[in-house]
Amino acid sequence: MMFEFLQRTLEGLLEAGPYALIGLGLTIGFGVLRRVNLAFGAAALLAAYLGSWLHFRWGLPAFAVWLAVIGSTVLVGLYAEWVCYNSFDKSTMGVRRLISVFGILDAKEASVIAASFALWMQLEQIAVNFQPSHLHPFPDLSSNSYFFWGSFSLRPDRLSAFIFSLGLISAVALWLHKSRAGLGLRAFSDSHAAAQMCGMNTSHLRYIGTTLSYTICGIASCVVLSMDGQVTPMFGMWVLLKGMTCALLGGLGSLRGVLGGAMLLGITESHAQSLWGPIGRDAATWALLLLALVNQARQNSYPINSAGVQYE
Amino acid sequence: MNDALCITDPGIGLYTQWIILSLMGLSTWIVLQTGRISLGQQAYFGIGAYSAAIVTVMFNGSLQQALMLAGGCGALFAFLISRILRCFNGLQYALATLAVAELVRLALSAWKWRIPHPKGHEVGPDGLFGFREIRWLFENQIRPEIYLTLSAGLLIICLGVIFFINNTKLGLSIQSAGFDAELASFQGEPVDALQTLTQTVAGGIGSVAGALYAHQATYVEPAVFDVMLGIHAVGYAMLGGVATPLGPLLGAAFDLGLLEAARIFDGWRMVIFGGVVAILLRWRPGGLLNPAVLYHIHQFIQRRKIHEHSKFT
Amino acid sequence: MLEIEEIACSYGKIEALRKVSLQANAKEVTCLLGPNGAGKTTLMMTLAGILKPTQGDIKFEGQSLIGLSPSEIVQRGLALVPENRLVFPALTVRENLMAGAYLRKDRAGVANDIEQQLNRFPRLLERIDQPAGTLSGGEQQMLALGRALMSRPRLLLMDEPSVGLAPKVVAEIFGIIRKLHQEGTSIFLVEQNVHMAMKVAQHFYLLQQGHITFSGTPEQLAHDDLVHRAYLAGKSASH
Repeated sequence: MMFEFLQRTLEGLLEAGPYALIGLGLTIGFGVLRRVNLAFGAAALLAAYLGSWLHFRWGLPAFAVWLAVIGSTVLVGLYAEWVCYNSFDKSTMGVRRLISVFGILDAKEASVIAASFALWMQLEQIAVNFQPSHLHPFPDLSSNSYFFWGSFSLRPDRLSAFIFSLGLISAVALWLHKSRAGLGLRAFSDSHAAAQMCGMNTSHLRYIGTTLSYTICGIASCVVLSMDGQVTPMFGMWVLLKGMTCALLGGLGSLRGVLGGAMLLGITESHAQSLWGPIGRDAATWALLLLALVNQARQNSYPINSAGVQYE
Repeated sequence: MNDALCITDPGIGLYTQWIILSLMGLSTWIVLQTGRISLGQQAYFGIGAYSAAIVTVMFNGSLQQALMLAGGCGALFAFLISRILRCFNGLQYALATLAVAELVRLALSAWKWRIPHPKGHEVGPDGLFGFREIRWLFENQIRPEIYLTLSAGLLIICLGVIFFINNTKLGLSIQSAGFDAELASFQGEPVDALQTLTQTVAGGIGSVAGALYAHQATYVEPAVFDVMLGIHAVGYAMLGGVATPLGPLLGAAFDLGLLEAARIFDGWRMVIFGGVVAILLRWRPGGLLNPAVLYHIHQFIQRRKIHEHSKFT
Repeated sequence: MLEIEEIACSYGKIEALRKVSLQANAKEVTCLLGPNGAGKTTLMMTLAGILKPTQGDIKFEGQSLIGLSPSEIVQRGLALVPENRLVFPALTVRENLMAGAYLRKDRAGVANDIEQQLNRFPRLLERIDQPAGTLSGGEQQMLALGRALMSRPRLLLMDEPSVGLAPKVVAEIFGIIRKLHQEGTSIFLVEQNVHMAMKVAQHFYLLQQGHITFSGTPEQLAHDDLVHRAYLAGKSASH
C-alpha cells in the first residue's frame, strides 16, 4: 500500500513538469500584464491544430512542428493582445480614464476579461473549422517503456519533460533577475507608471511579456501533446484551467510557486484519480484551488497587490 | 399579426430562451453591483434546474412549487457560499466562484438518485447522463405561449424589484459598496451584509432561470452548467451595460440576435460573433448601456419634459 | 532651458491649464507654487509626456517635447520625481536605482552612480536589498529622487517632494535639493510648502486656477501682498 502510494506520488510529481510550463506562461502573462487572459488556452489549441495539420498533411518532422506551434501560438497571442488589451493599456500613471465601477476590478478590466472570452470562442471555432474531427495526431515522442528506480517505475518521457521544465523555469528566472529586459519586465509589472518615468517603453515591454508568455505556452503545448500523441478540441480549456490552477496554487507571479503549485496539482490528481476516477480527480483539483485561495485570503498574503506581483 | 410577433413555436422558444439568459445575466449583474465578478452563477442555474425537476418529476409537484423550491435552494446555497467567500475580492472572488461552480457541476455529474416512475421507467438524476423526462409542461398541456408569459412575468417582477430597490437607500448603499467597499464601510455601510444579500438574491434568480430552462428543454445534464455558461452570463451583463438592470437583457438579446443573424455563415458564426463582441467591449468597456449613455438618455427625457411643460406655460 | 509657451490642458471639458507660459533656466531651482487644484501636477504630467496638451508648446533646450512619449522625454534629459513617490514596491532599493538607469548602456557608470546615490542617501544603503514598498515615506522619497538622478537628467522635475512627510524629513529632502543645485543640477520644483521652497529656489511662479498669476524672485514673492497673505501667514508686505 505504501509502495503504491509512493508510486502514485512519483507519477504525480512527474506530471508537474508540463503543468508548470503552462502555469509559467500564464503567470508571466498575468504578472506582467496583470490580467487574466481567457484566450490563452484557445491560442494553444489553434496552434496545436496547425501543428497537427502540418504533421499529418505534410509529414513535417517533430522539430519543425514544434517550431510552427510555438511561432503560431505567439502570433495568435499577439493578435489576442492587440484585440483585447491594446487600448486598455494606454492608461497612464496607473489612472483609469473611465470611472471605476467595480472597485478592485474596474469596468475596463472586467470588460477585457469578457472580451478575451469572446476571443476564446472565436479562436476555438476557427480551430474546429480548420480541423473538424475530434482527434488529431501530433508527433508522438512518448515512450511506452519504463525504467526502474529501485522498485519504482518511471516513464522516461515524463521524466524528461519534468527536467526540461525545471531547466526552462530556472532559465526564465535567471533572465528575469539578471538581464536588463528582465528588470524592465519586473518593473513594468510592479508599476506601469513608474516604469514610464524611468524611460521604459511600456508598449515594447508589454509585447515582450506577451511574446514570452505565449512562447512558453507553445513550448508547454508541444511537450504535453508530444507525450499524448494527439490533440482534441478540449485541449484549449485544459491548458487554461490547469495553467490557472498551477499559477494560483503557487501564487500568481511567483516562478518558484508555479513549480510548487504544479507539483501539488500533479500529486493530488494522481491520488484522486486512483481513488475516485476522473470526476474525483477534477473535483480534487478545484477543491485544492479553493483551499489555496481561502488560505491565502486568510493569511492576507495574496501576492497580487495594487502595485503588481513579485517574481521570485 | 401572429407572424409579425413570431407566434410560432421556434420563435416563442427563442423569446423564452432570451428570458432565461436574461435572468442569468441579471443574476451576474446583481453581484456586479457590489463590486464583484462572479464566474460561478452557473452553479445556481444547475441547482435550480435539478431541484425544480425533482419536484415536478419525482414528487409530482406543480411548476409553482418547483420554482419556489428552486429559488429557495439557490438562495440558500448562495448565502452559504457568500459567507465562505466573504474574505475574497476582485480576481480571487471570481476564481473562487468558478471553483465552487465546477465542484457543483462535478457533484451533479456524480449524483445518482433514481426512483421508479408510475409509467414503469426510472426517473431522477442519473450522474453524467443528467436528468431526463422533465415533461411537466407537456403532461399538463402548458402551451409555449403560456410558458413564455410566465417566464416574462418572472423577469418583469425581478426587474421591478430591482428598479424599486435602486431608488431606495438600500440601492444607494449597494452601489456605494460597489464603487468603493472600503470607503463605504468607513461611512458605516454594512458592506459584508450587502454583499451577502446581493449574492443571495442573485443565487435565487439564477436558480429560477435554471428551473425555467429545465422545464423548457425537458432534459438537463451537468455539461450544460460549465464555465462557458458562467462567462456568457458575465458577458451579457458587460455587453449590455453595467449601469442598468436592462443591460443584461440587451446583452442576451444581442448574443441571441447576432447568433441567429450569423446563422447563414453556418460554421463561422462563433468566429464572427466572438470578434464582434471582443471589439465592441474594447470600444465600449462599460457596455452598450453604460453610464454615459444613460446620462444622455436621462438628459433627453428631461429636455423633452421641459419642452412639453413649456408648451402649457 | 525649459520654455513652456501657452500650454493648455483639459480633462474632458474641464480646463486644468489655461495658456500657461513660464520658463526654467539652467542651473537654477525654479519653483511653481499654487493651491490644491491649481493645475500644478497636471503641468508636471504634461511636462513628463504623460498628459497631452490641447495647445501650446514645450521646448527643452530648443527642441519641442510635444508628442513625445514619456520614455522619449526621459531620453531627452528630463526626469520626474512624482508627487506620490511611485517607487517599484516589489523591487529592492538596488533594483529601483537600476531601473532609473534603464536607458543607460554604460554598466560601470551605472554602478558608480548607484554608489553615489547610496552615499548621498545613507539610509538607502542600510536597506539596499529591502523591497521598496517596505520603506518609510521619507525613504521612498529619497529613493524616488535617487532613481530619477540615475538617468543623469539635465532637468529634474520634482512634484511636491514634501507632501505627507514629517518636518524633519522635509528639511532633509530640501537640504538634498540645495546640495543638488550646488552641484549644478537644474531643478523645476512644484511645492505648496512656500517657506522651504524660498530657501532653495531662485525664481517663483504662482499658478492659480490654471493661470500664472505671479512671476518673480523670492524677494518679490515676499513683498507681494496677495501672495504674502495667501502663503506667508498673515504679515503684511508693506511693513
